Amino acid sequence: MEEINLEGTVYLTVAYLGMIAGLAIWTWTVVVRSRSIEQRLAAVESSIGLDAEQADNVAEQSVARTSDDATD
Amino acid sequence: MRGRVPEMLLGVGFLGIMTTLYLGLNWAPSVSINAFESPAAQRIFYWHVPSAWAAFIAFGVLFVGSALWFFKRSPMGWRLHVAGTEASLACGLMAVWSGCVWGAAEWGTPWDWTDVRLNTFGLLTLLALFLVLGRQSQPDGVETRDTFSTFGLFGFVLVPLTYIATRIWQIRHPGPVIATGDDSGSLQSEMSLVLLIGALSFTVFIIGHMLISMRITHLEQRLESVQKSLDGGN
Repeated sequence: MEEINLEGTVYLTVAYLGMIAGLAIWTWTVVVRSRSIEQRLAAVESSIGLDAEQADNVAEQSVARTSDDATD
Repeated sequence: MRGRVPEMLLGVGFLGIMTTLYLGLNWAPSVSINAFESPAAQRIFYWHVPSAWAAFIAFGVLFVGSALWFFKRSPMGWRLHVAGTEASLACGLMAVWSGCVWGAAEWGTPWDWTDVRLNTFGLLTLLALFLVLGRQSQPDGVETRDTFSTFGLFGFVLVPLTYIATRIWQIRHPGPVIATGDDSGSLQSEMSLVLLIGALSFTVFIIGHMLISMRITHLEQRLESVQKSLDGGN
């Protein structure tokens, strides 16, 4: 029968708990940010009567203008 | 349905990661007690290697995104840059953390400042940390993006250096056990299978994460533009 090395098992547990916590925090942060930005954007767009396609056009024009300004 | 592909990838990747953990702890064979100081801790390897692998993919995405922004002014390139930095930071920290714990168990010290592999990978993770924190603390603009893209481009030189480090200077970090090029891989087939499932799962998981991150950056840009137009600015 294989001898159980308690010390090694403790290290193993600490390593996996740390990584599980890392995965959970990372995923939670991303999902919360995604939901929050979607809600904020929907609220702002509906308040000024923009639909998603129009808002995309505004964003693309803004990025292009910023890029042009920097190269001037 | 199409809009939820990133979440589906995230879910599939997560299931695969948990399957890897179960198989790594319960199915994969034990290593020889003569070859390791702490044989039980060796099972850290089933998440450590895939997370390092995923970090390398993320650093690759960071490099491509940085190049696309810097040379082509591509908004998609900037989104890739942002997604790559966040994914490389998360996976890099997981690999560093698990490596430190394994080092403490196996070597009696969590870090060896003379080991090239440890230090180059640590530097890569610090670079990702700098890029994530820097982007959050700076106003978004072309100059900011250029600066961070330059770091992304030049920092990538550490990736091949990290990859070949244990092939040239084997100090503490174990040498390669797969893709050695001379069929001298020391892994048993069950171990290889669990490692393969882990690598695939982590790959799917970070692709899902990076797609969501790109969507968030896109929405942030849209929100900023709409707010500017509301304020009567550009």
